[in-house]
Amino acid sequence: MRKIIISLNFVFFGLILNAQLLDNLSIGLESNTVWYNNDSETGDFFDTANNDSDKHIRSNSYLKIDYNFLESFTASVQIESYEPFALLNYSKSYEGTNLGTYSLNYRNSKLNITAGHFYSQFGSGLVLRNWEDRQLGINNALQGGKIVYDPVSFISLTALYGKQRVGFTTSEGEIFGFNSELDAASIFDFKNTSLEIGLSYVGRKEETTFLEPSFNELTNSLSGRVDYYQNNFYSNAEYVIKSDDAIKQGGQLSNRLVKPGNAFLFNTGYSKRGFGIDATFRRLENMNFFSERNAAGNVFNESSINYIPGLTKQHDYLLTNIFVYQAQSTVNLDTSQSGEIGGQIDLFYKIKKETFLGGKYGTKIAFNFSYWAGLDGDYTQDNPDAGILPNYEVGLLGFGKKYFSDFSIEIRKKWTPKWRSIFYFVNQSYNKKVVEGSGAMINSNIGVIESTHRLGNGKSIRLEVQMLNSDSTKHDWTGGTIEYNINSRFSVYANDIYNKGSDTNTEKTHFFNLGGSYTKGATRLGINYGRQRAGLLCVGGVCRFVAEATGLTANLTMSF
Amino acid sequence: MKKYTIFITLMLTGGLLFAQNIPSITLKNLNGKSINVQKLSKSKNVKVLAFWATWCVPCINELDAISEVYEDWQDETNMELIAISTDDSRTKKRIRPLVNGKDWEYEILLDDNQDLKRALNISVLPHLLVTKNGKIVYRKTSYTPGSEDELYEIIQKYTN
Repeated sequence: MRKIIISLNFVFFGLILNAQLLDNLSIGLESNTVWYNNDSETGDFFDTANNDSDKHIRSNSYLKIDYNFLESFTASVQIESYEPFALLNYSKSYEGTNLGTYSLNYRNSKLNITAGHFYSQFGSGLVLRNWEDRQLGINNALQGGKIVYDPVSFISLTALYGKQRVGFTTSEGEIFGFNSELDAASIFDFKNTSLEIGLSYVGRKEETTFLEPSFNELTNSLSGRVDYYQNNFYSNAEYVIKSDDAIKQGGQLSNRLVKPGNAFLFNTGYSKRGFGIDATFRRLENMNFFSERNAAGNVFNESSINYIPGLTKQHDYLLTNIFVYQAQSTVNLDTSQSGEIGGQIDLFYKIKKETFLGGKYGTKIAFNFSYWAGLDGDYTQDNPDAGILPNYEVGLLGFGKKYFSDFSIEIRKKWTPKWRSIFYFVNQSYNKKVVEGSGAMINSNIGVIESTHRLGNGKSIRLEVQMLNSDSTKHDWTGGTIEYNINSRFSVYANDIYNKGSDTNTEKTHFFNLGGSYTKGATRLGINYGRQRAGLLCVGGVCRFVAEATGLTANLTMSF
Repeated sequence: MKKYTIFITLMLTGGLLFAQNIPSITLKNLNGKSINVQKLSKSKNVKVLAFWATWCVPCINELDAISEVYEDWQDETNMELIAISTDDSRTKKRIRPLVNGKDWEYEILLDDNQDLKRALNISVLPHLLVTKNGKIVYRKTSYTPGSEDELYEIIQKYTN
């Protein structure tokens, strides 16, 4: 590792001598450091992943360098450091300091070739998506090679091969991918119309230890898509099938439960100036797809080949994120689960200026409704003594047990040039047993009022008041935030949420945070002290469970 | 660790010395048309590339605030703001109705698997790049109410 750093130093010093060359250099640095404290109210610091209670100060750092040369080439490296251990709730596979990703890319108008690590996505990601989210601890880049070839302007072809990144190692399973995109509208030269067709194949080959496996080592998935857009109207659909594969039951890969999977996604909408509506329907059946079969169900979302986000509105406030839905694509015969079915509708509307409801500046309204349920069908438990194989049979459009629903309305109102407010209301039903593994259905109403007042000279103050009432005696929350922007560089804030309910994990505990940040150009330093609530941390529709922790956090990000 | 510190220091000082080129990456706009970001930014007029997402409240606040003064900015400086959405397939569908619902006049580009965001080493949103003649002349992250005025001073500085 030391050698890498020293040689990078030399490379960099060489570069600095020639400012012209530096124009082709891009650098990003991110460092997140936490000093974990023992908390008299919620307990002492303990890291279950590393079985450690000594290393209170930890840091996750990322340094990424991209360099363009000879017009068409880009070299990229990312060095990652998790010292002395990774922050709490990260996978143990992120350990020490090492080279995370590296790649060399060549690009011209028809070809785009990458060797090393690359991030790729086919269609909406239902068959393949490689991505990085440092907050979630996800980096499932493929290590191998990728070729994108555009023979003509309306056709794009991709072929790729690789092993998936898992921490600082790679997966056992190999991934093969092929993708084709056809832009049909440009062939016929349609005006104001777009019609795109996509077809993808993704295969995963992994050896199995079963002596007589009742499935193939190679698992295939296929995706077909149509994307249509005309004037103000648009619509798109995707259908995915996945071939027979062994399913994990009770923590064990089963040679007796071997089933195919499928997914259907449909989205349509209409929008014009000041108005927009969008509706999505999705059905998933046994759509888990990992680069290693045994990775199914891992809590860190490692080794996932495809991307299955929860399709609900991503709320922005502390109390609207107590109960967050996670997409259910896993088969679990014990709980009669094999996937999910449901959808969501979004509506955006701007009430015009100088009307009764619009007032002087107009009023912006956003509305969202989502509903998700299990697949209705028959679930048969494994019973070898009676000669019964485990199985499930589900209907095509049957809605089963309710998993989640969410109705929200957001009103943004500007009163004067200096005063503006946001009113936010959410009604939620959350099947805690399905999403978290235990508990009951919780119905809640959440209200938020946010106001920002500009004081001039870049000074402003922002206040949030939040309430959550539920039909469960366990959850009855209040919360608030106050933020003061001293100028465009310095900002300080404090927030707190408190549960009056009897939930054993959060009862009568203040989950407070105090912090400040300094921003100059593209450099930002944030400092925060507070108590983190145990729960689901969700970014981009993918969630990870985080444990309760108290401590001082410093985040530094820079880009050049 | 010491070497690492030296390296970081070098990097910081280095960062002040150069005007970085925009990489040649092609993104689609909302009409499905492919647009090369490098070509787009190779203009004698200032182009502001604003990285945002439908779920990022400060991003929306910033773009809302600029949209109120956007006509004046364009008239005075011939600048253009290109709002580059980093929404992935989960929230991408919300872009079109949101942009129309908010009555924004910006060109919207889609960076749905974050290829451009990654190439430019952007880690937090909102993130703005002020570009001219294909080079980044100024970068800024985060938004506080009123900071759009400072952005406008920078745009004016780079307008001939």
